[in-house]
Amino acid sequence: MKTLLSRLWILLFWLALVAVWEISCRVWAVPEFILPMPSAIWQAFLDVEFNRWMAHLWATLRVALSGFFISLAISLPLAIVMLRSATIKKLLYPMLVVIQATPVVAVAPLIIVLVGTEDPSRILITCLITFFPMVVSTITGMSATPDELIELSRSLQAPRYRETWQIRIPYAMGHIFSGLRVAITLAVIGAVVAEFVAAEEGLGYFIQFSTSFFKIPQAFAGLIFLACVSLLLFKSVQWVQQLWFPWSLNNNE
Amino acid sequence: MKKGWALFLVGWLWITPSVAKDNVVFQLDWLPGGDKSPVYVGIEQGFFSAQNIEVKVLTGRGSTDSITRVAAGRAHFGFADIGTLMAAKAQSPVPVVAIHPYFTEAPHAFYVLSDSPVTRISDLKGKKVATSAFTSSNAFLPLVLAQHQMQEKDLTLIKANVGALGPMMLSGNVDAIIAWVTNLGLYKQQAMSAGKTLRILPWSESGLSLYSSSVIASERLLASNPDLVKRFAKAMHQAIEFAYHQAEQAGKDIHQQVPEVDAVIAKEQIEATYPLVFNAITERDGFGVFTKAYLATTWKYVAKANNLTEDSLDAESAVASFAFAGAAE
Repeated sequence: MKTLLSRLWILLFWLALVAVWEISCRVWAVPEFILPMPSAIWQAFLDVEFNRWMAHLWATLRVALSGFFISLAISLPLAIVMLRSATIKKLLYPMLVVIQATPVVAVAPLIIVLVGTEDPSRILITCLITFFPMVVSTITGMSATPDELIELSRSLQAPRYRETWQIRIPYAMGHIFSGLRVAITLAVIGAVVAEFVAAEEGLGYFIQFSTSFFKIPQAFAGLIFLACVSLLLFKSVQWVQQLWFPWSLNNNE
Repeated sequence: MKKGWALFLVGWLWITPSVAKDNVVFQLDWLPGGDKSPVYVGIEQGFFSAQNIEVKVLTGRGSTDSITRVAAGRAHFGFADIGTLMAAKAQSPVPVVAIHPYFTEAPHAFYVLSDSPVTRISDLKGKKVATSAFTSSNAFLPLVLAQHQMQEKDLTLIKANVGALGPMMLSGNVDAIIAWVTNLGLYKQQAMSAGKTLRILPWSESGLSLYSSSVIASERLLASNPDLVKRFAKAMHQAIEFAYHQAEQAGKDIHQQVPEVDAVIAKEQIEATYPLVFNAITERDGFGVFTKAYLATTWKYVAKANNLTEDSLDAESAVASFAFAGAAE
């Protein structure tokens, strides 16, 4: 009951915000090219055919999710290797920091030229942006395993792989999911950045296209749709954690 | 049995030429719109098919982007500003050449509100002018200002995102903006939504007359398959003529290929672009023909705008030799 009430309050807050936005735009006659009214954005959303929305959504999701899962598949084993070998960590960590510190917007045009204008280049851009938080959170989580547990495992002569799979990784799950939550939203940003540079479809392309044709309400519709998709993906990661790894959640989550 | 095989062989030989089309990639220099319609018209009206060519169109983000992708082999053909191509070739051996002229006048212009005191370019002295950060217009600005006894320091030049230019002018933050005449319809529409009208001051009318947007091709492709390049140029020639003489149909054709492009807006863009494609230059030289004299004039402007010496490039090397005779030949 309490949860329902709190959700109702949140809904009311958002509805009030939209109402204030609509009324302010009408009262002060704010031009559409500066800030379109929510009703104009909604109309612009309806004006675009459903199958066009789905085509753009699929193009963005395809890249964002592919990039996310490829990053996941690479970053977890890499984090394990880096944790077990100080030499590899010393060798790779600075490289990862350099990749993360390089603005992906600056290198995206070069990647497009080198890899091509199809999905692989966009997925690579997404991987570059999502990879770092996954590796860092996994290493941090695994390093945070209490020494007593590791000592216990070693005193029982457990092999290293069991120490990793049965102690370190389960202990790190909370950190790993924190990294995944950050990475999933970054995956959407990565896909959009890539679409800004080269794409024929996708929500990022659609927003850029609408802006270049001065269809500002349509651009806002695309932006809000994109934000909703990002939110849904973020929640999906949370649901996966709640469903399969509930022990990794702390009391506040 | 033998008869069956013979019939199969004859049938296969008969159908093979119509099946084996040349697949090429065309790189736009910006997002699809009315001024990019010829390539879509070429596909929809069958001009490429008639030349046995299958075209895939990619969107781009400026002339430099388009030239880079053609040079890197990611696309075979494209649209790009020949001035940008010349400046690039003067600085490094870029394996790209122009094969067909498209805009034979500069597309750059100042836009002001109709009630603005600015009625001539010389009136801009001391005014605030906004321009997009990456437009090729910026390179030519000092030249057009010099034609009116001004320098860049006589203006307050603000660089902003292209989508912000119109709103900046309409809200009175700047006195004028720099944009291409191809976007007149879009800016007019935006101004109309604010209850205002626009005035345009094209740079071509103040003496900046030069080749601009052109169809480019990979030099490697030209060397390995010159016939394909010539067939492509011929199809583009027909497609450009069709698009600018049947703007309404061209608008529908681009909408058919790119549903996000509004057919009516595309038609308006084509009509606004017409003077850049068919004008006194094409009447003098013929449509689809590069002339050595006009190319030399273009290079003079480009070299000056980019602080390059005129001897840093043989201007004719930026154009495929067959394009001097005309693509339709």
